[in-house]
Amino acid sequence: MLETINLSKSFKGKKVVQDLNLYLADGESVGLLGPNGAGKSTTISMISTLIKPTSGRITMNGVNAIDKPGEIRSVSGVVPQELALYQELSAYENLKFFGSIYKLRGKELAKAIQQALEFVGLDDRKKDLVRTYSGGMKRRLNIAAALLHRPQILILDEPTVGIDPQSRNHILEAVRTLNQQDGTTILYTSHYMEEVEQLCDRLYIMDHGKVIAAGTKEELLRILSTEDKIKVEVNKLDEAFVEQVKTIEGVHKIEVTELQLKIIAAKGSSLISKLVHLTEKHHIQLLNFQTETPSLEDVFLHLTGRTLRD
Amino acid sequence: MRSFIKKDLLIFLRDWKELLTVLLLPIVLVVVLNFAFAGLFDSDDEVTMDLQLAVVNQDNESEVLGQLKERLVRDAAFEEQEAKMVAEAAEEIKPVQLLLDYLESDDVKEWVTVHHLEEKAAAEKVNEGDLDSMLIIPQGYTADSLYANITGEPPTSSLIYKIEEETTTSSALQQFIQGFIEQLNYQFAIQEVTDGTGIEAALPKGGLEDIGTAYDFNMTQYFTIALGALFALFVVATVAMKTGVEIRDHIFNRILLANSHPIRFLIGKMAAAVCLIVLQILFVLLVSHFLMGVFPDRSFVFWVGILLMVVLLAFVLSGLAAIYTAVLLRMTSVDAANGIFMLATLLFGTLGGGFFPIYMLPDWLQQIGTWTPNGLFLAILTEWIQFEDPSTIVQTSLYMIGFFFLFTFIGLALFPKRGKAQ
Repeated sequence: MLETINLSKSFKGKKVVQDLNLYLADGESVGLLGPNGAGKSTTISMISTLIKPTSGRITMNGVNAIDKPGEIRSVSGVVPQELALYQELSAYENLKFFGSIYKLRGKELAKAIQQALEFVGLDDRKKDLVRTYSGGMKRRLNIAAALLHRPQILILDEPTVGIDPQSRNHILEAVRTLNQQDGTTILYTSHYMEEVEQLCDRLYIMDHGKVIAAGTKEELLRILSTEDKIKVEVNKLDEAFVEQVKTIEGVHKIEVTELQLKIIAAKGSSLISKLVHLTEKHHIQLLNFQTETPSLEDVFLHLTGRTLRD
Repeated sequence: MRSFIKKDLLIFLRDWKELLTVLLLPIVLVVVLNFAFAGLFDSDDEVTMDLQLAVVNQDNESEVLGQLKERLVRDAAFEEQEAKMVAEAAEEIKPVQLLLDYLESDDVKEWVTVHHLEEKAAAEKVNEGDLDSMLIIPQGYTADSLYANITGEPPTSSLIYKIEEETTTSSALQQFIQGFIEQLNYQFAIQEVTDGTGIEAALPKGGLEDIGTAYDFNMTQYFTIALGALFALFVVATVAMKTGVEIRDHIFNRILLANSHPIRFLIGKMAAAVCLIVLQILFVLLVSHFLMGVFPDRSFVFWVGILLMVVLLAFVLSGLAAIYTAVLLRMTSVDAANGIFMLATLLFGTLGGGFFPIYMLPDWLQQIGTWTPNGLFLAILTEWIQFEDPSTIVQTSLYMIGFFFLFTFIGLALFPKRGKAQ
């Protein structure tokens, strides 16, 4: 099991990660969720032993991995957010090089390369130079390079940034296969909520360098179990109306988009009758009214007051 | 390790712009500079002189015996009989005849035409520009010079060399004649030491050979070597700059995470630098040779020597590549690091004679230039091309080996510890 205890990192006196406690049990798929700048990549860099934390501990099966980085390095594969590939080499040459620095040799290396290429669907383009690849293909190769030594833990830092839906689905499917069929432990960071929802058993939500919530998807959604999310569509909107909706007892948050209101309010706050009353008062026609089940996005909004892509 | 080297070689060899720069540009420059500097320097190399020299011989050899004997008795307190014997032996030397033979020897007559004239006629012709210079052998010169050599006293008369206009060729002839006189005096000295047995006065050899070289060293050779070494410095900078790409693209991080010892990365860079530099310089030397016949009629041993010295330079520069790589890993700005490397390359290039002949620089800069890797390479190859003698390059080779160890040590010392790379 990999665990971090009160892990912190400061750059020039500014705390980027603060007292982070996190664990990864064998075979788990764990998501690290947070907006840009939340400290996810720094956390990944510390866990993968690339940078030393300012304070705190990282242990791998009880062994201090800060003093013995090899404990983690030997069993983990890291897919960095950046395309860590040689553009002037072919996919095959890239994998051969990265495989060899993992001390794979001869037939073992050739087999690992072949499996990795097939796994990410690049076998037919293996001789092409990487610079001729599309963004999605490069992302897939970026993952393949981390799989050559068959790591027990795969750490993926936003592996789907800036790619087409097809490649994105391919990557998500590949990660799911690794976790469910091969039993690879996954630590997946993203600011795409739906990816994390699809892939991960447990989630850590980070903001401003801190874990602000953790648990399974159900546990996190339970944070909003005392609330209703109501979507209202009207024919026109004015400020006075919105301000009066905010004053309705039990309303926690309102998000306004054109002629639509998303309202998060306490359960049983008799919101509907009060809304109907207000629309009549402001001569606004109520076009649609819908109660939604809260999502993780709503949980994040509830916890941070902003959306993941802010 | 092999994978590190192979990777760097492949990346370099697929960079066409870089390849053109380090392989073809030096050859183009060798050709261009060869033509550009040909007029400026070739006169020193391939002399096509035709110097018209008037020789005015006022000395009378038939009077030498009497003059010398009389002076030995009068001024040097020799007994009559002893003076006669010494004078008779010395008379055989005939220094004036030796000088005239020298001036009309095969080596010298290629560029000097001797005219035997009276002083007045010679002076007129020199003044009118028909002749370039005149050499006057004054009366009693033979007896005086022999007396001076026998007694060790300074001669009272000397050859008179007159020129209408000082030119490179006329000055050179003056130096040759002076050299001849000194050589003659040297032979006399030897005769005294060895009691005059078995020694004949030997003429110094004429032409360019009098500086003692076995082979000529010309500007084409200079530029071929200097530019080959200069562009090897660019290879070093490029190898380091590729590290910048590896850092920017986070490939270096991936290498670290593979639990691969970072020193393997550095040594891989050094080994790749050695391979690339050897290939690059050999390409420049061989292509220049086949295009312009830079090293004609040289032996197999000569080429083996060239190869060894190129390898030696490659090792020195691989140490420099280690320093550049370590510096780059420590710096936050890859662009700034690249700027520093280019400046260093230009500095080494200038001081080491890569952009123009090193002897065009002031003496103090020349001194510094000889301590640059390319300056040392230029020096060692210059010696090898001229003498093809291993003993002449031992010291410079040791300096180069020293540079390799020094650079490598600095590179290793600067190489960042874990987590310190930017």
